[in-house]
Amino acid sequence: MAKAPIDWSPANWPRLLYRFFTSFRLATVILILMTLVTLLGTLGQVDNGLHAAKVKYFHSFVFTEKVFGIPLILPGGLLLMIVLFVNMTLGALVKVRKRWKGAGLLISHFGMLMLLAGGFITWAFSTDGYMALYPGMSTNRVESYREWQLEVIPLSKEGVAEKAWIYPAEYLDTMHSDEQRVIKAESFPFDVVINGYSKNATPIPVSAPMAAGVTGKELDGFKLSPQKTSKEAEQNLPGCFVEFRPRDGSAPIEAILWAGSYRFDPRENPMPFTFTVGEQLYGALLVKKSWTVPFTVRLDEFIFERHPGVMTARNYESRVTRFEDSQPDKPLEIKMNEPMRHAGYTFFQESFGPSGSQPGDEMFSQFAVANNPADQWPLWALIINGIGLGIHFVIMLVNFTVRSRNKKLSPAALS
Amino acid sequence: MKRSSPTLLALAILAFLPLGLSAREAPKSALQNYVPWEDETVHTFENLLVQQDGRVKPLYSVARFTLLQFSGKSKVSFQTQDGETHSIHYADWLLDVLFRGQIAKDLPVFIVDDSAAVVQIGVSPKSKRDRYSYNELVVGRAKLAELGAQYAEKQDLYEKSEKRDAQYELDRIEGMILTLGRNISSFEYLVGQFGFARQGEMLVNENILPQELTDLAKKLDTVEMLEKMPEMTLEQLVQTIRQQPGESEDERTFTGALRLFFFHANSARGLNLFPPQEKDNEVWVSGGDTLLAGLASKEDRPWATDQLGSIRTLVLAQKEGEAAFHEALKAFSTKQNAIADARGEGKYSEMEITLYRGKWFTYSLYCFVIAFVVMAFSWLTPASRVGGILILVASLLALLGFFLDVYGITLRSIIRQRPPITNLYDTVLFITATAVLLGLLIEYFTRVGIGSLVAVLSGVLGMFLAMKYEAKEATDTITQLVAVLDTNFWLATHVTIINIGYAAGLVAAIIGVIYLAGRFAMMLMGKTNKEFFQVLTRMNYGVICFCLFFSLVGTVLGGIWANYSWGRFWGWDPKENGALMICLWTLVILHGRMGGMIRDLGIHMNSIILAMIVTFSWWGVNNLGVGLHSYGFTEGVWGALYSSWMVLGVFMLMGVIVWFRERSAKASRDNLATPKSTVTA
Repeated sequence: MAKAPIDWSPANWPRLLYRFFTSFRLATVILILMTLVTLLGTLGQVDNGLHAAKVKYFHSFVFTEKVFGIPLILPGGLLLMIVLFVNMTLGALVKVRKRWKGAGLLISHFGMLMLLAGGFITWAFSTDGYMALYPGMSTNRVESYREWQLEVIPLSKEGVAEKAWIYPAEYLDTMHSDEQRVIKAESFPFDVVINGYSKNATPIPVSAPMAAGVTGKELDGFKLSPQKTSKEAEQNLPGCFVEFRPRDGSAPIEAILWAGSYRFDPRENPMPFTFTVGEQLYGALLVKKSWTVPFTVRLDEFIFERHPGVMTARNYESRVTRFEDSQPDKPLEIKMNEPMRHAGYTFFQESFGPSGSQPGDEMFSQFAVANNPADQWPLWALIINGIGLGIHFVIMLVNFTVRSRNKKLSPAALS
Repeated sequence: MKRSSPTLLALAILAFLPLGLSAREAPKSALQNYVPWEDETVHTFENLLVQQDGRVKPLYSVARFTLLQFSGKSKVSFQTQDGETHSIHYADWLLDVLFRGQIAKDLPVFIVDDSAAVVQIGVSPKSKRDRYSYNELVVGRAKLAELGAQYAEKQDLYEKSEKRDAQYELDRIEGMILTLGRNISSFEYLVGQFGFARQGEMLVNENILPQELTDLAKKLDTVEMLEKMPEMTLEQLVQTIRQQPGESEDERTFTGALRLFFFHANSARGLNLFPPQEKDNEVWVSGGDTLLAGLASKEDRPWATDQLGSIRTLVLAQKEGEAAFHEALKAFSTKQNAIADARGEGKYSEMEITLYRGKWFTYSLYCFVIAFVVMAFSWLTPASRVGGILILVASLLALLGFFLDVYGITLRSIIRQRPPITNLYDTVLFITATAVLLGLLIEYFTRVGIGSLVAVLSGVLGMFLAMKYEAKEATDTITQLVAVLDTNFWLATHVTIINIGYAAGLVAAIIGVIYLAGRFAMMLMGKTNKEFFQVLTRMNYGVICFCLFFSLVGTVLGGIWANYSWGRFWGWDPKENGALMICLWTLVILHGRMGGMIRDLGIHMNSIILAMIVTFSWWGVNNLGVGLHSYGFTEGVWGALYSSWMVLGVFMLMGVIVWFRERSAKASRDNLATPKSTVTA
């Protein structure tokens, strides 16, 4: 029997769209594409590192990939997950025939939707950073792993910092090496000019042999040599040329700012470039983006254990005290697999340092600090999903067993 | 004629089976004869405790993995000059190495896969792949050290290069030379381990010390010397021996004695046989550490002399004869075990010996292989009563193999006080057991012989893989966990469940292989058996659903664990992605079938793709060199993976051919059914 022709008239478009978005075929195609994108994203990490691969393959709407030298445009993970969400909502919850036999599948699809929604909320609204402390140190400041911003700080005569002017990481990160930006810092008597920004760079003296191959400006006997961005995005050290142009027409002040001047050990102090405009002393430097949490954490003790006779870490845990206005001080433990959750923030025992520490050395403890509104959604989704799939597969197993028992194969089929 | 296909297959299997069982001739040794150790001596020796890789274990385990590393086998077979053939176990071999070094140096234990490697170091080659003794290789020792250092540096550059720069990659022969060099060094360390107690008897590295020191060594007893030495740290010792000795005889003797002391302390590192003095100190020490501890503090000297003296007693007793040696060994063992007991260490060392001596996994493999042979006999008389009995026997053998595997897994779990899976080797054992159990459950429900075949095939492949993996890695498989894995709850839930998912994915592929091979064979013979193949499809559909359930729950549990330990549910880490791809592909199969995009053939072909994804996730991602699951890295599995994918690809190709043939047959039928238009003249 021939199929009825499809009615393409505009009046029928909503129906066609509904049919399209609720179809099994769309679900299958999306799932195949998601498998492909996941595979490409996994292999892509080998050359580009995790962060770059995430941005390209999983947090994108489309991306291009060369297959045997031919560039192909493929849908990114974000687009695929949005379409899958729509497909599941309409197909598996709205359109599906509601009957007891399908109850398990209905529940499990709801769990999957919750998982996808949780993933989206995490992607859109969560923040993550780290806090590193030596025993005895305390702070409420969390730093970003990868984002750098430009800060210009008025300093008192004693060198004490006052409120900083910030050129945010989101803007700085969009700059190219051949781009120049002139920014009016309203609170200061000068404009800030940034150029030659590189996401990963090293200043090298012009006398060094490798400086011959570096094009670009020379300043105070140094050039800024752009480096290939690291696979581990946390290891990139950006750098740029910066010029402070006083508005009164006096001579501009130039400097190379490099992230390597920032502190990498909690005990170190950042080393800003200092300059004077008028009578005021200023400091400028590239710093990691940071924010505060509504309480202070003090590291009281860091316990680090290795397996006997080898360097492999067996356990590391931190004894901390949490200070908060109007709350009594609270001593706590943060250890692997046992985070501290408070006021919407979660503190995880992430790592320790400095690298290469030997037994007996003083070590700092590093916490990953996350603020994720959908933090516990995966757990709930798992419970819902597990129940749904459990119900469905018990029904299926019973059917399969009954059918297998009732339907013995004929001898001919076995021979 | 009806039975020709399975019968031919069965005969072919039976005909080729003996090929794998042929034995090789044992390599010849320069030894005139060989006197084996008494069983009692070996038993006492293998029960000695040693701390290695962060845990206290029996010396038996050290012997096992050291010999595996050198030889690729767990026993040494050789023929002596008197024409006798000997086969000694690893504990016997280590006894020779530690106490009869001259004999150990003539035992052919160093495997060289390609004789080109020994030619490069100036050693006369034997056959293409052969085992050499230390004495056979020693002529090329200097060249081996030179090339080994060169290749180690090259390998280091390769590993540190951003994209694994191919110019630094070692070729096959270079890799063999590097490994051989390392094995020879380890052997020398072991042979020279008790040099401090041998009073100048130099078994290896004779030329390292100048003649005057060798002569001095014969006169000095290092253990006695310790009591007379001034207190000195290691740094002070090194500083002193670097200085030029004074003019007087006494000064020269003193500096010489210090150099000798340093040489012995350095040679006696690595074998941590002595529990520490302090109760709260977990680190056991070697003879070298003990010498240095005694040197550094006069307070520690009585303890150090006692420990080192016990080794000297053993060395001297061995020269008196085996009875005296056994007595001394027993005394040493009793004392050591008493201290370890009091410290609560080495509790499961006897069980560990039972695990390895019992060879549960080897016997499990035998069961599966025999079950496979029995299964093959059943194909000679399919659908008959005898055939049914043979399938039952094969199933029971598979069940026995399963229990042996599970027994071994249980022993391993008890020994380390952890759930069944903590490393890659454990996954092989566990996945095999799960796949066998799944196959047997399928057989219980369907009774068509396919479930048993799945169980038997899973058992043979899995246990063979476990054996090969252990020999390739040649390191202790009962490992200590990194901090993040130190949680029995998550190991028991996430890790176990995800591996059940892997097992189900592989079982689905085996069913798929049977289906595709069957359909292809039927197509060639121009026959069909719709009813049988429908049963296979129902089976596979059920297994795929099972795979989805466990993979999905396991993956999400993994995410929840990651959220507890790393602060994020999902990080697109390669291992996470591998698990996700398994979930996605099972969903592709289920939705594709519900949407009418695939039918029976498609389900089986896709189950083979599923197996490719499972193997990529299980082994491949560990080899990418990126990601947080760095505790699972294994080198050199890509070759095996590509081979397995090619084999699976052959079955896919069969599926494609069947699909085309069916399509063209359907098109022909449709053409015949369509009435042709009548042409009138």
